[in-house]
Amino acid sequence: MKQLRRYLFGLAGVAALLIAGCGSTTSTTTSSTAPKDITIGTLYAGSGSYATSSLPELAGLKFWMSQVNKDGGVFVKAYNKKIPVKLVDYNDQSDPNTAQTLYTQLITQDKVNILVSDFGSVLTSVAVPIAQEHKMVLFDPTGTGASFFTPTNPYIVLTGLPTSAVWPDNLAKYLLAQNFKKVAIVYAENDFDQSQDETLTTQLKAGGVTPVYNQGVPTTTSNYDVIIHNIAATNPDAVLELGYPNNDIAFLQNLAASGQHFGFLFTIFPGQLFSLLEQNVGAKTLTDTYTYPTPPLLAYNSGVNYGMTISQFTQAFQSANGSAPNFLDIAGYNTGLAIQKTLETAKSLSQLDLRAAAGKIHMFTLDGDFTINKEGAQMGETLPVGQIQASGSGLKTVIVFPSSVATGTAVH
Amino acid sequence: MLRRRWVDAVVVVVVVLAFVLAPQAYSNETLLFQMMVYIALSQGVNILYGFTGYLPFGYVGFFGIGAYGASLLMLHLNWPPILALLGGGAIAVLLGLVLSPLLRLSGAYFAIASLAASQAVYLIVSNPALQNVTYGPYGIQLVSQFNPTLSYYVMVVILALTVAVVLYIRRSRFGTALQAMRDDPVSAAMAGVPVVRQRTFAWMISAGIAGLVGGAFAWQTSVFYPDAVFSLSISIFAIVFTLFGGAGTLLGPLFGSVVLYGMYNTIGISDPQYFQLIYGLLIILLVLFLPDGAASLLKRRGSHVL
Repeated sequence: MKQLRRYLFGLAGVAALLIAGCGSTTSTTTSSTAPKDITIGTLYAGSGSYATSSLPELAGLKFWMSQVNKDGGVFVKAYNKKIPVKLVDYNDQSDPNTAQTLYTQLITQDKVNILVSDFGSVLTSVAVPIAQEHKMVLFDPTGTGASFFTPTNPYIVLTGLPTSAVWPDNLAKYLLAQNFKKVAIVYAENDFDQSQDETLTTQLKAGGVTPVYNQGVPTTTSNYDVIIHNIAATNPDAVLELGYPNNDIAFLQNLAASGQHFGFLFTIFPGQLFSLLEQNVGAKTLTDTYTYPTPPLLAYNSGVNYGMTISQFTQAFQSANGSAPNFLDIAGYNTGLAIQKTLETAKSLSQLDLRAAAGKIHMFTLDGDFTINKEGAQMGETLPVGQIQASGSGLKTVIVFPSSVATGTAVH
Repeated sequence: MLRRRWVDAVVVVVVVLAFVLAPQAYSNETLLFQMMVYIALSQGVNILYGFTGYLPFGYVGFFGIGAYGASLLMLHLNWPPILALLGGGAIAVLLGLVLSPLLRLSGAYFAIASLAASQAVYLIVSNPALQNVTYGPYGIQLVSQFNPTLSYYVMVVILALTVAVVLYIRRSRFGTALQAMRDDPVSAAMAGVPVVRQRTFAWMISAGIAGLVGGAFAWQTSVFYPDAVFSLSISIFAIVFTLFGGAGTLLGPLFGSVVLYGMYNTIGISDPQYFQLIYGLLIILLVLFLPDGAASLLKRRGSHVL
């Protein structure tokens, strides 16, 4: 009997631990009176494969928050007053399963007013059903997976880039305009890159060009040596490598080491994380390559009607953080602007009113035109084609296509 | 005998009640769900490692194939979720059967080979050439089937079944045979234990548990990419939780999962910057001072740990 009692005590202990191990609940804010602050909940990857992209995005959001709080807070139409903004942020360590738990934590325990997802499609994907289940609008800075945006989900707003399948529209047109007949594509096997590959191949084929090489590789690929030689064997006019930053870095490093040279070479992330790429692959390797230029390389100074211009932002961000901003800093800041505009126009803090207000936003920020469609996908921004060219002792990015936004011509 | 059965029933009821009642005290059901996932997975590892001595680093392969199997049955054949989930478990068992020749290896060779097998499954599932079948790198969308409440309670049932299976193994001749094989396979074979058959059976039970859990995870998550269900961290967590609590017991992995996963979340939420340091130190201390897990503390004092 003693033994039995010991078992039962042990089990009771485990059950108690179970409850205790989960932490404690927090109090609910009533909505009848103005809250003392607007809480924004977000996740960031402090380590792991998405850290280099996620941390700048968080820095941009924090910068926006510091700017509005310096001014007394964000204007909330529902209460006709400015209310300070408070950030609750957790580290998901680039792990989607941890992110899943932490998104729920932000909604159910911290009871945040606004939910912002982490960088990219993988870490955003798990937030989409959770936000929908809890009827919370998900402000999504860079999760561009097309499957997130459906007519049945009114709880998502893509604040930054268009869905990834739309990205290569201008690139495909440019390749056809250049009359390239032999195009080689290597892409990382993930939603973001494969959807771009599909758009490219469809548009190229419609223009009479079938890629001579079109190969997927695991996203974890870190050695492209064999692939580069296989591509070179097809004698291509243009080579496109579609990957995440780590893929682009590995490809460009391997290419430099291989001694091969391609007349037209396109990679994605020099246009977003220029310093990171330059630091890892060197200016010489990047020279004359092509990319999608995004702010700050794509400098929106005129026409900005909400928030800072790119010059103002670059200066203010540098003085606050000690380093020049990259695209993801801007994406984080731009998400803050989208939240700000939403709160300024929403008639209440209810999530559906917030979503309705976000759907009516038409503004031109340092990140370009902000317009979302009914599904919440970003439609305003488009990605031109740019070439990184030598300029004195450094590099500059010249937009070469489309002609309406071109700042120069390509150097071959 | 009767008292043992009574104790077993109490154990299952306590586990079920704890997770049925926990959402009343703590509303982050995702965390509770994931805790159940890791308890069940650590029990699956326990069946294999604790009872046969085979450490499956690639255990996540069964979890992933269960998640994909269940999802694809829902998407392609329109199976109802619970049936699809059982199908996911069956597919994992089938994979276990296919991979059963790995059991010819032992020690580190088996651990590495099982890891390689799980990666192979991952690469097949995420291969763009199979996009029409597995959706390749685009991942899975089960939005129309999404039902977090029902999937939570189904997970409670899977956990209860897992606990019951481990209890059965501990009490049965089968479990005794497994432990005899773990300690000395040659002697066990000479004593008439069908070593290969029993070991394969344990391997398939373990695979089936991971498959069922993977199916429930897929249903609960509803939107995921292949990386999320084939992440090596899932195997590592299940193994560490098992080792921390004490392999070869029921309460050890249960205790390990609740304490360590609870800690993982508590530290991850309150002090994420110290998380890896604290977790790393804890594992070092465990390896140095409690290589047989927390259960060994009680065993040293002469207590019997269930």
